[in-house]
Amino acid sequence: MVKFTAEELRRIMDMKHNIRNMSVIAHVDHGKSTLTDSLVAAAGIIAQEVAGDVRMTDTRADEAERGITIKSTGISLYYEMSEKSLKQYKGQRDGNEYLINLIDSPGHVDFSSEVTAALRITDGALVVVDCVEGVCVQTETVLRQALGERIRPVLTVNKMDRCFLELQVDGEEAYQTFQRVIENANVIMATYEDPLLGDVQVYPEKGTVAFSAGLHGWAFTLTNFAKMYASKFGVDESKMMERLWGENFFDPATKKWTTKNTGSATCKRGFVQFCYEPIKQVINTCMNDQKDKLWPMLSKLGIQMKGEEKELMGKPLMKRVMQTWLPAADALLEMMIFHLPSPATAQRYRVENLYEGPLDDQYATAIRNCDPEGPLMLYVSKMIPASDKGRFFAFGRVFAGKVSTGVKVRIMGPNYVPGEKKDLYVKNVQRTVIWMGKRQETVEDVPCGNTVALVGLDQFITKNATLTNEKEVDAHPIRAMKFSVSPVVRVAVQCKVASDLPKLVEGLKRLAKSDPMVVCSIEESGEHIIAGAGELHLEICLKDLQDDFMGGAEIIKSDPVVSFRETVLEKSSRIVMSKSPNKHNRLYMEARPMEEGLAEAIDDGRIGPRDDPKVRSKILAEEFGWDKDLAKKIWCFGPETTGPNMVVDMCKGVQYLNEIKDSVVAGFQWASKEGALCEENMRGICYEVCDVVLHADAIHRGGGQVIPTARRVIYASQLTAKPRLLEPVYMVEIQAPEQALGGIYSVLNQKRGHVFEEMQRPGTPLYNIKAYLPVIESFGFSSTLRAATSGQAFPQCVFDHWDMMMSDPLEAGTQASTLVADIRKRKGLKEQMTPLSEFEDKL
Amino acid sequence: MDFETNYEIEDTADFIHRRNFSRVALQFPDELLKDSMRVVGALRDKLQLLKGSGSEAQRDGAKEVRLFVMADATYGSCCVDEVGASHSDGECVIHYGHTCLSPSSTLPAFFVLGKASVDATKFAESFSNYASTSGKPVLVLYGLEYAHAIPHIREVVVALSSSSTVSNPTCEYLFADVASRVTDPPKECENSEKTLRPDCDCDTSCEGVTPGFIGSIGGLVWSLPKGCKMEDYSLFWIGSDNSAFANAVLTFNGCEIVRYDVEQGCLMTDLSAQRKILKRRYYLVEKAKDANIVGILVGTLGVAGYLNMIRQMKDLITAAGKKAYTFVMGRPNPAKLANFPECDVFVYVSCPQTALLDSKEFLAPVITPFEAMLSFSRGLEWTGAYVTKFWDLIDSPLPDVRHEDPEEARFSLIQGRYVEDFSSKVNLEEEEENGRVVALSTTMEKALQLRDKNTTMITSNGKVATSGAEYFATRRTYHGLDMYHDSGSTVEPFLIGRSGKASGYEGERNKPDTEVEI
Repeated sequence: MVKFTAEELRRIMDMKHNIRNMSVIAHVDHGKSTLTDSLVAAAGIIAQEVAGDVRMTDTRADEAERGITIKSTGISLYYEMSEKSLKQYKGQRDGNEYLINLIDSPGHVDFSSEVTAALRITDGALVVVDCVEGVCVQTETVLRQALGERIRPVLTVNKMDRCFLELQVDGEEAYQTFQRVIENANVIMATYEDPLLGDVQVYPEKGTVAFSAGLHGWAFTLTNFAKMYASKFGVDESKMMERLWGENFFDPATKKWTTKNTGSATCKRGFVQFCYEPIKQVINTCMNDQKDKLWPMLSKLGIQMKGEEKELMGKPLMKRVMQTWLPAADALLEMMIFHLPSPATAQRYRVENLYEGPLDDQYATAIRNCDPEGPLMLYVSKMIPASDKGRFFAFGRVFAGKVSTGVKVRIMGPNYVPGEKKDLYVKNVQRTVIWMGKRQETVEDVPCGNTVALVGLDQFITKNATLTNEKEVDAHPIRAMKFSVSPVVRVAVQCKVASDLPKLVEGLKRLAKSDPMVVCSIEESGEHIIAGAGELHLEICLKDLQDDFMGGAEIIKSDPVVSFRETVLEKSSRIVMSKSPNKHNRLYMEARPMEEGLAEAIDDGRIGPRDDPKVRSKILAEEFGWDKDLAKKIWCFGPETTGPNMVVDMCKGVQYLNEIKDSVVAGFQWASKEGALCEENMRGICYEVCDVVLHADAIHRGGGQVIPTARRVIYASQLTAKPRLLEPVYMVEIQAPEQALGGIYSVLNQKRGHVFEEMQRPGTPLYNIKAYLPVIESFGFSSTLRAATSGQAFPQCVFDHWDMMMSDPLEAGTQASTLVADIRKRKGLKEQMTPLSEFEDKL
Repeated sequence: MDFETNYEIEDTADFIHRRNFSRVALQFPDELLKDSMRVVGALRDKLQLLKGSGSEAQRDGAKEVRLFVMADATYGSCCVDEVGASHSDGECVIHYGHTCLSPSSTLPAFFVLGKASVDATKFAESFSNYASTSGKPVLVLYGLEYAHAIPHIREVVVALSSSSTVSNPTCEYLFADVASRVTDPPKECENSEKTLRPDCDCDTSCEGVTPGFIGSIGGLVWSLPKGCKMEDYSLFWIGSDNSAFANAVLTFNGCEIVRYDVEQGCLMTDLSAQRKILKRRYYLVEKAKDANIVGILVGTLGVAGYLNMIRQMKDLITAAGKKAYTFVMGRPNPAKLANFPECDVFVYVSCPQTALLDSKEFLAPVITPFEAMLSFSRGLEWTGAYVTKFWDLIDSPLPDVRHEDPEEARFSLIQGRYVEDFSSKVNLEEEEENGRVVALSTTMEKALQLRDKNTTMITSNGKVATSGAEYFATRRTYHGLDMYHDSGSTVEPFLIGRSGKASGYEGERNKPDTEVEI
């Protein structure tokens, strides 16, 4: 631990070349937090006054209980490099002191919004991979996210201790495993070729890969060993590094390096010979308590043990020896300082990703140069609940300028449009705060390149925002973050005591603010709904809601609810017609399913209401085989004007048609939001207006006549086109040893899941299983799975797609019709669906 | 039951005769319209008789009484249709059938409640069963059509409870009374506070107890002993599941409530459907918070104080930075309201029993003035209390409004995220610039704005309109005939349109025998 006063810390913050903002990302349970702990133990900055206090990363009680990270936590580290080791460093620097702002993020997929928020305010990422389990689905997801944000990664192969103690693999085998892990990671990184970011792949021989044992607190990069051997062999350090990895073999008998295994018994790979074997030897000697052998060995390595440490036995002895020999903090921090960019470097290429405005204005320039004298540009990435109930810190990163206590800032919210007043506030920053361990210290100001927490803006920032100086009226905001998961699991909550309702509403507001992913809303039936990414996420949200945001008032939660979508299977069996209430107007319509992939294209925003019609018709014609003229006749998308359904005008020569267009659109927005089956949103339906008969007087074909009619005819055409339900489906990835496979398959079968990929991880007894699992079946899935495999399988679920339920909801007794009846009951609708005859009229 | 008692011919004639009315409007709901001629005949006979029996002087002074039958009331048939009555210069209204007994504003009214039969013994049994198990004192409320039978029922219940030694003798119960069956318009000299409440002329059940809380709903009044709250009572409703009952469930949503269905002679304890209504109303309140343009629907032209209420609603909506429009359109239906798609929500100012409109089939929700107050006063949270009578709301101070910073983003439960009330912010800024001239010039500035075509394109997507004019300009794509339509359309030849009737234009297959099922 490094003891600091706020002033000392503040001083380093000015040296923008000596700052590293980095996040730790990995799959769940690959040892991020443990590794972070060992870094913090060595270099964590704490306030002078509280030195000797409790652990730094000790945060939420539930995190400790479950053994997983839930919220990302930021910690500042201080590291002083020796002049000698900095000799190799080519970049700009101000002295030898370094400030590392590290953010430990959760690995569970339900919390990936936390990762997204962490990545936005960092420039580099330490990717932690379990050396046995290898690159997993969440590693891949977060790595892709990081690269998308132009975050430079370095890799650490973690849990090395398992190789030595648990698996007892020999050197060559271990090398192959490591090599594969690194290759897998590189495959993902190679797909992100970015000329500005340069080569983002990692290479052990270049020092961008570390090998660590977080639990035991030791780690090394090839640099450590290269330094050790360079003098011995009398070669250059970088030359030595290359020899320690890849196809380089050394035969101590002949004392010769070759690029092929000569086949002689003593010929071994450089890495095995010089790195793996010595470690193995030290560990084995320690574990076997062969102290007579150990002490000479250690003195040869230049390791000094203190008096009482010599008394240790077995594992504790091994840990102590390894920590002294290869301290994790030194290896990892050096790697970060050498290979991760400083804000000054990173913002030069990140500005394009960050800034929405023109890249040559003064704001873009200030971000690019990380200019502390420039205009303030600050991005608030998350709101952190303060101990003061109901208040939040706005946590973010200063990209340009300085933010100081008392300054008036312009707050540009996510809906702000330059030049308008919407979502824009001008307010005073009450205090600027930096975190020193668990303690918050108020500072005068914080310069660019650093993270900061602001007090007094929480009423005006909802989830994230861009802050700039009051007078900078022409500044554009920093691009909003994109989240990779969507809230598909919902639960209804109500308070036990009716009079607690205001508390519940207030709690929901705060919950929505504290978590960017959760959606708190209200159903038509008046139920309060909390929607989250997964079961675990919801569980945490409910706990937060009850304990932190409602002051312990009791709440009742319903069983998890899944939202469905309504779609159609075929084109309507006939053209249906509905008459207006006054019988003077008639609408003729047909429904048909959209082409495959079109609904997804609308979801992704590739096709939408704001497109240039020419571009849109080009995509529709080329990718979905639409007629070019027809593509120009799309009236609207819906629901909410952007949803994956549309109305297309197929009429020919109808008078006054454009007059009723708005009314038809209004009716469609309404109908597509509440489908005919069970009032769920529609999806993937294209409605074609075939013909229209209108009254000659405008007064008789007004909105009042046409809007309800449009709704009815849409329902009628939906019901005649073989309506179906769509259910959300998760992609599940499970990693487990072979003997657990049987259990996994039986649980998946029982839960309507199906496996589409099964792969053995090369070099391990582990299997990787990918399967689709209906979200509705996923409740309790992970506990059932754990029970069935005696705890050996751990699933990760991500929403993947909507899947059509093949049974006919209109036919009594089918699965879909039971489901429809259940949904209708829950929503307080009539249990019987409204029959087609209510919507369709006859001539 | 014979016709004359059912329609209370004698009392009615007496009322008319005593007050010396010469033009009387008889208001019938649709279902009783068939009896109207017989009622008129009987009334006329009775009046003739009364006239004959009166003294000489009276006979001279009295004019011929003219009776007018009114039907198809413009608004809910439960309220007195004063406008209808004034078409025939009526001096008073005799109202038949189901009523909400709302105070009228200009004409005196006499209510004939009708008499539905009820089996008192059967009722008394299930009532004492319930009363002995509920553990709380019971307050009996009923549909007004059963009012005539209540004294009898009470006797039976008392007899039953005294005779049976088994049942808990301590079980308390209280019967509500019918408020005056005659309402008079407020006299100008009296202050409004007093006249707005229907005065009570019966005082039977609360003898010996000092009145504490006086409750009233739908023409019923009762007073609770001092120190008692409504929550201490469980409610027992006699009657059918109609709007009066729904009204009671909403108003006293904190109480346990059961309904005795007279026709089936059994107790209905499952009232989840009614509870759902309350939740649904709560949703509508939340939904209304997101509204920018609010329509005020005038749902009554008779109930006392409706003009005040409309004014109050307008002020409230404007103060919330929203735009208000007033509509007078008789009874609202989906087709009528959908003619105003610019309105995001409608506030329906009417008597309590018609105000609760299930607007599921409507394009925009319809809420009550009370709900509007909850929605449009920032910081006001709903605690569960519910008021359906708008006259109780007039000038009532808003309970504990928490003063939030009006600039702060508001959390919308409908959209599930924080939203900003843009318009209220603008208003605020206006107030800040205190000078009147400045204010005027800024309003002028806003009144006339130059728009180019492109902004229309942008704003039509997603942005919300804050006034009808803005809606027309930005959200509608059709603005009427385009004089300067020049986008390369070719001149088209004149076409002869359809002719005939809409039920089947000429040239369409409209003969029933040729119609084929498609």
